[in-house]
Amino acid sequence: MNWRRWLITAASTAALVGVLSSAAFAEEVTLTIGKLLELTGPLSENAPSQDKAISIAVDYANQAAQAAGVPIKATAISADVQGDPQAALSAARALVAKGATAFIGPSITPESIAIANGLTIQKKITVWPVGTSMRLRTIKDEGTIFRTVPPDSLQARALAAAVEDKLGGASGKLLSIAYRNEPYGEGLSKDLSAAWQAKGGKIQGPVVFDPTQATFDSEAQQIVDNNPDAYVVIDYPDTFAKLGAALVRTGKFDASKLVVPDALAFSTVPSNVPAQALEGARGTRGGSDTSTQNYKLFDELWRKAGGVEHFALDANSFDSTTLVILAAAAAKSADPAAIESKIRSVTQPGAPKYSPTNLGEALKAVWAGQPIDYVGVAGAFEFAANGDPTISRFDIFEYRDSKLDVIKQIDAAE
Amino acid sequence: MPVAVRLAVALFVVAAALAIARGPVAVGQTTLNGLVAAGYFSLGAVGLTLVFGALRIINFAHGDLLTLGAYLTLGMTSLGLPFWPAAVVAIAATAGVALVLDWIVWEPIRRQRANALQLFLVAIGLAMVIRYTIQFFAGSQPRSVGQDVLSTITVGPFHLGTLQALALVVGVVAASVVGLGLAFTRFGKQIRALADDMALAEVSGVDTRAMVRLVWLVVGGLAALAGILYAAAVGSVNPNFGFLILLSLFTAAVLGGIGNAYGALAGGLIVGLAQEWSTLFFNARWKPVVGFAILILVLLVMPRGIFGSGRARS
Repeated sequence: MNWRRWLITAASTAALVGVLSSAAFAEEVTLTIGKLLELTGPLSENAPSQDKAISIAVDYANQAAQAAGVPIKATAISADVQGDPQAALSAARALVAKGATAFIGPSITPESIAIANGLTIQKKITVWPVGTSMRLRTIKDEGTIFRTVPPDSLQARALAAAVEDKLGGASGKLLSIAYRNEPYGEGLSKDLSAAWQAKGGKIQGPVVFDPTQATFDSEAQQIVDNNPDAYVVIDYPDTFAKLGAALVRTGKFDASKLVVPDALAFSTVPSNVPAQALEGARGTRGGSDTSTQNYKLFDELWRKAGGVEHFALDANSFDSTTLVILAAAAAKSADPAAIESKIRSVTQPGAPKYSPTNLGEALKAVWAGQPIDYVGVAGAFEFAANGDPTISRFDIFEYRDSKLDVIKQIDAAE
Repeated sequence: MPVAVRLAVALFVVAAALAIARGPVAVGQTTLNGLVAAGYFSLGAVGLTLVFGALRIINFAHGDLLTLGAYLTLGMTSLGLPFWPAAVVAIAATAGVALVLDWIVWEPIRRQRANALQLFLVAIGLAMVIRYTIQFFAGSQPRSVGQDVLSTITVGPFHLGTLQALALVVGVVAASVVGLGLAFTRFGKQIRALADDMALAEVSGVDTRAMVRLVWLVVGGLAALAGILYAAAVGSVNPNFGFLILLSLFTAAVLGGIGNAYGALAGGLIVGLAQEWSTLFFNARWKPVVGFAILILVLLVMPRGIFGSGRARS
């Protein structure tokens, strides 16, 4: 009875395949996320809050996955990128050696470029930089770099709007621009100049300063020359501690005319930055609608975790981490290329919307192979072809008594 | 005409020409800014040049001794000492560290007759040890020094930070005292003998070991003083600040004629003024380039630097 033997063999094979398949489905995905943190270097103020945001996201997603019965478990391991591209590449390599298959960070664009060119493009590892410079988009990253942070092409528009709001108009108004000599400042300054001139304003400078200089008094003098209507200083905290003091020493500086970007957004002005250099100054930073349930949940998680206060772009780091975990769940794999292939299917416009408040349901849906549209703490993410968000919300803040006070929010879009 | 006088005349002529081209107020203010930078560079470069002149060591760890002085001061203030008494203790402590480093590192290496490259690599290693030790204990975050960096001396249209003025005066005085000490004191003459030929100095009755230790004490103390004044004037420090300023110190020392204390003063003056004056014509991003361009130009014409007419000052 040949046909009987064939039937039994076929049935056994089908049963075996079924068992193996279900075993495969049940096999837990273990995902290791690399945290590329600025523990030392010029942006070291950022590291504690980013570290915390990523850890919170990992813990929260693990709890949500466990509650939803989705077999995925994420862990996060960290390394110091030191504010230096070569050190950042070494740090990323060390994390890959320990099993990292996706990166959150770093914050400085030359570091991201070094990591992309030296490591992640070849290995198809997705990188989620916190740096906002448009210089990042000068490299062919082959779809491996995504940002939830607003790119500087959008921040430039927000800065121009903040200055316009401050001055009550832009036409004919003189804006003095200065920036620290690196891609963040260069790109943002260029886009800001274009945005301000498009509004009918005039530009003085830009004054470009080298961060390693012993003194910044001549630069400060040039910034305040001709008594401009406003100044925008694009800088990092360590240099601004010196430049800010030099600005005040000119005797011509009016801090209420100053507008700063996200790198100088502090909950409380640090003790090494002269308070007089920022009192009354305005600024922009990537913002989140704090009235949403998503933000309230994030804030609650943040407070429960203890430690550092909120800092610029912490919500974005939380969202980046969550998106990586969702993509890994959608791919049912921690393989870098598999994660990369699913990023857009978890932020797919028109698909059912999910958010941190129902993350367990979102994980279930993606595990079942359904596309979703994740709306994060920082808002919805519609990634352009280059991996940047096409619309971003910004806080416009003002320093009062050395504290950051958000006075309004605006959306900036391409 | 002495070199110093020729240099002073040349700088004055350049300043006058700039004032005609760009106006006296702008040039006056940038000159003041340049003098402040010159103060930092001169004070930092004196120790660097002294170590090279006496011991033939390109001391890459010198910048980190500046950092150590500043951090030790912060450490003392955290124990309750007021800033300036804490600075005095930190200067003494840094001098002590320099002495101990000679005892446990440099002296054994000298005995083995290490060559210049080996000495250079040891200095780089020491620099990293000092820097990362500071970072381990004090953290990597920028630290506020707690001094009033906004206090300003205003004369007419000109402004100068009070602590900047102090750094400038102390820089000039310290470089001059070291120069005079080397030229006219018994210890100075012995150090110069040591610099010329250590073996010959020894057979001539110079206690070379004591003189080497004296050099390290002075160098450590000067480095700490430079670091403390710089930190006080800019208001904050991080573990890398001494390393970042080191190239400018080397530029000043080499430009002036390495091994010569007055050369450090002159080199610092030229680098500081040239960098700040350059901002009258070019974007400030070119400041570091100007310093090194001048170094190259001067060395093309005067290979031993401005004051380096002999093998060393002696």
